[in-house]
Amino acid sequence: MTPRWMSESPRPFSKVLVANRGEIAVRVLQAAREAGLIGVAVYSENDSSSLHVELADESVLLEGDDLDSTYLNAEAIIEAARRCGADALHPGYGFLSERADFARQVEDAGILWIGPPADAIETMGDKISARSLMIQSGVPVIPGEQIPVEEGADHLGPLASAAAKVGYPLLIKASAGGGGKGMRSVSEPKNLRTEFEAAAREASAAFGDGTVYIEKLLSRARHVEIQVLCDSLGGAIHLNERDCSLQRRYQKVIEEAPSPALNSAVREAMGEAAVTAARSVNYVGAGTVEFLLSSNGQFYFLEMNTRIQVEHPVTEMTSGVDLVQKQFEVASGLPVGILQSEVTQNGHSIEARIYAEDPGSGFLPSTGRLVMWRPPSGPGTRVDSGVREGDEVTIDYDPMLAKLIVHAPSRNAAIRRLYTALSDFVVLGVRTNIEFLRNALSHDSFLSGGVDTDFLDSTDSSELSGDEPDGPFLTAIAASAQRLGLDSEPSSAAESVDDHTGHVGDPFRTLRRTFP
Amino acid sequence: MEWSVCGESGRYKVNLLESDGSVSATPISRDGDELDIGKISVRPDGKPGRAIVELGGATKLAHVARSGDSWWVHVDGRAHEIRFHEQGSKGPSYSDGSLTAPMPGTILELLVKQGQRVRQGQSLVVLEAMKMEHRISAPKAGEITKLHYDKGDRVEMGSVLIEIGD
Repeated sequence: MTPRWMSESPRPFSKVLVANRGEIAVRVLQAAREAGLIGVAVYSENDSSSLHVELADESVLLEGDDLDSTYLNAEAIIEAARRCGADALHPGYGFLSERADFARQVEDAGILWIGPPADAIETMGDKISARSLMIQSGVPVIPGEQIPVEEGADHLGPLASAAAKVGYPLLIKASAGGGGKGMRSVSEPKNLRTEFEAAAREASAAFGDGTVYIEKLLSRARHVEIQVLCDSLGGAIHLNERDCSLQRRYQKVIEEAPSPALNSAVREAMGEAAVTAARSVNYVGAGTVEFLLSSNGQFYFLEMNTRIQVEHPVTEMTSGVDLVQKQFEVASGLPVGILQSEVTQNGHSIEARIYAEDPGSGFLPSTGRLVMWRPPSGPGTRVDSGVREGDEVTIDYDPMLAKLIVHAPSRNAAIRRLYTALSDFVVLGVRTNIEFLRNALSHDSFLSGGVDTDFLDSTDSSELSGDEPDGPFLTAIAASAQRLGLDSEPSSAAESVDDHTGHVGDPFRTLRRTFP
Repeated sequence: MEWSVCGESGRYKVNLLESDGSVSATPISRDGDELDIGKISVRPDGKPGRAIVELGGATKLAHVARSGDSWWVHVDGRAHEIRFHEQGSKGPSYSDGSLTAPMPGTILELLVKQGQRVRQGQSLVVLEAMKMEHRISAPKAGEITKLHYDKGDRVEMGSVLIEIGD
């Protein structure tokens, strides 16, 4: 049965399969439940007890022990949708979300694709064709060389001459890329070859396509992106910007809205450029047009992400629009239902990505069991997460554990709220970047709103590592906790009535005696 | 029982005194030297994984949990890992000149040869994990005495990759 809000929809649906895992699968499945839809999860063997499976109304196992046979297996996922009678599919982000051929296969199977048309994904997904289209449409692009350097071909000659034309420092980018994978900066010619090979290799591994191109590296630039929302009736609006300048190795770390670097004239111009970009590919659904904002206020098209974005919550918090619900609505053929003039930007929102990684050893991913997981809560605090206490963090999947999002009346209030929420976020058993986030957030450059995309990579790590741990104090707590047996679950009532105090489950007595 | 705090190099020994369900740590020594840090006492607050820590007359809440040979402590807004060791056991992996894999992955490239001298921080190995390339650098200067793996090999977390002599 289709939900009542869809009664006027040209393409109603009632059961949505979410072809993803982790926090975004949880987010979409939750939204589906709220929308009165039946939510179906897919999962791999090692995800069988994951949170997204628990939240789904139904779930289907994808057999196999690698990504290609599970979350990247288009045939198996479409077959799962068919088998359980799902009439719509939401791809989330990552995995198959930006594979045009997958979007086509889904539609060909008679399943509604909750995303943009396959042609739009294809044009924007190939960074080289996207650049050409933007130039045609009058959207400014970064100076660069669009001569594709094909993998396997004799690459060094064309590469070196393209590089010389663009000039150093430059950026090698995967044409099929995203999320910082397959992207390398080159500061001088002698590093060109190694960085090119690394970029092509990463691009091949991550996207199955090692084609790269070269762009001028703009220094001291900010990353500002515009959220767009388009319907199949020709309606297109933008929901203002997100500033994602705080990045490490091109991976976003902290995102906020509004951007501290935009004035209303630039905001409006950027918003219009984003809508132009979306219209140029007949976009439908929620999408993001990314720009680099140079220090002199010029902005350049970077790429368009044809899917829901990791950092979409900061726009939801400031605009009051539920983007996943809107994806459902426009996919069913309904209009966006919001006029550009009705779009508001209320207060300030910041998101911090909580990663299982160790800032103390080069941000390598960390693994282990989340022996304690206590997310913060309170007014203006939102946690989007795909894990819970007791879950195992492995290297099989992306190391992002959660997104911590805050909303407050002003930027300063939002920073203080986020700092407090990060301090209250108790994650034990796996190393995280929480302390690093606290330090980045309280760095003068971030407080003043002046960070550019090079900030984290160019700042001395000692400025972001915080105070030395108080070793004796911590050792005293750990040793005492061990003696008191504080790791144990409370013993069951029958065996633990304490003969001294008479209290049931008194941990003082029963546990002390187990220690030599 | 000895203790070490991740992010630090010393080894601690703690003497624990118990009274009325509370444990006081005094004295504490680091690498044999006794430290004067005042009296720290810890008592459970009745819920698992929570401890009340008293220092200098003030109390605060700490979250504690054990995982393997480590205790994890969250206090003052930060999480820490504190390892316990049998008395006299060898130090943490980085101090003895061997370089271990920080996570499971595949060796993409070996950037050094046996016998080569390296400086501290020099990239030695490119390891691929989670579809990203990670460069692993020398924890100290020295000569490469042994390479345990070849390009393309899969390694488990904690495998010794390279040994560095002085």
